Amino acid sequence: MNNKFDALKDDDSGDHDQDQGSPKDGEKEKNEDEEKEQNTSKKKMVVPGAGEHPLQYNYTFWYSRRTPGRPASTQSYEQNIKQIGSFASVEQFWRFYSHMIRPGDLTGHSDFHLFKEGIKPMWEDDANKMGGKWIIRLRKGLASRCWENLILAMLGEQFMVGEEICGAVVSVRFQEDIISIWNKTASDQATTARIRDTLRRVLNLPPNTIMEYKTHTDSIKAWEDFHGLVNASGGR
Amino acid sequence: MSTDCQKTTAKTIPSIRRVTINDAEHMPHDYSTTPGGTLFSTTPGGTRIIYERKFLLDCRSSPLARTPPANLPVIPGVTSPASKDTSKNTQNGELLNNNTAAPDSSTAGDDAQFEMDI
Repeated sequence: MNNKFDALKDDDSGDHDQDQGSPKDGEKEKNEDEEKEQNTSKKKMVVPGAGEHPLQYNYTFWYSRRTPGRPASTQSYEQNIKQIGSFASVEQFWRFYSHMIRPGDLTGHSDFHLFKEGIKPMWEDDANKMGGKWIIRLRKGLASRCWENLILAMLGEQFMVGEEICGAVVSVRFQEDIISIWNKTASDQATTARIRDTLRRVLNLPPNTIMEYKTHTDSIKAWEDFHGLVNASGGR
Repeated sequence: MSTDCQKTTAKTIPSIRRVTINDAEHMPHDYSTTPGGTLFSTTPGGTRIIYERKFLLDCRSSPLARTPPANLPVIPGVTSPASKDTSKNTQNGELLNNNTAAPDSSTAGDDAQFEMDI
């Protein structure tokens, strides 16, 4: 990757946060349906309800947005990412998903993230720091369908790469949308190849759609360099 | 879709059938098929809960899948805690994922437009 700024085109959502942030743990999902503030830091287990179909892993939905034009900073990213909720079963997934706007209808510079419980959708998380992502740029109009197919494949364990999958992201941007899937080990080419093949099978992408793999360390470096230049630190 | 052998487990959920695959060659090449059946399946090297897309979509119509989660945060333009009847067709500018065959055409949403507050 020679042009660092290319790396920033989709990574300007600021996955670079240095703060640990307030740990927003998964919330208890019981049939009693307690009304709880999202910011409570008590650890709660999310479990499948009676009669529900369990998932291989628990997952958490996150949402983030950034005011376009404002340079990303660690603080603004932290303020703009929010946990929507966690689930442990197919039915619980639908309960969240059916009450969320489709990505194609989001406005502004917004992202949905769907990550395994315990993995923050940030480069610095232990699960992500040696990892990377496949990114797919989509013209407007495709994101909703592709996002749905992507997360159904992820939840349904269609990728067949053991523990490697971390999560998926859909990013709504000005003239395009981007979907991506993150895995733990960027250097594991067998894994990244199999993820790519599964993406082709499950997403029904338009022909000639380009898939690109990026390591997170490359993205971090690009972000640091970019902001170094903006702040006139002498460039690198 | 050949399999080396079939095992059933003692689990009580009747719809599970576990199929042991000893050879990666026996894994199907189509997304729409899983070895030995369409529900749960076993991957080489272990037991894993696998669901096909169609199965996941079918689960959506279950009553367990419809009520809004009690802890759903209200984010205007992003989440909608109101419980509506899930229908197959988009109605009244419905912007939510309440229908399975969601067209990507933008609807004149009566739902809250997302205001960008700086």
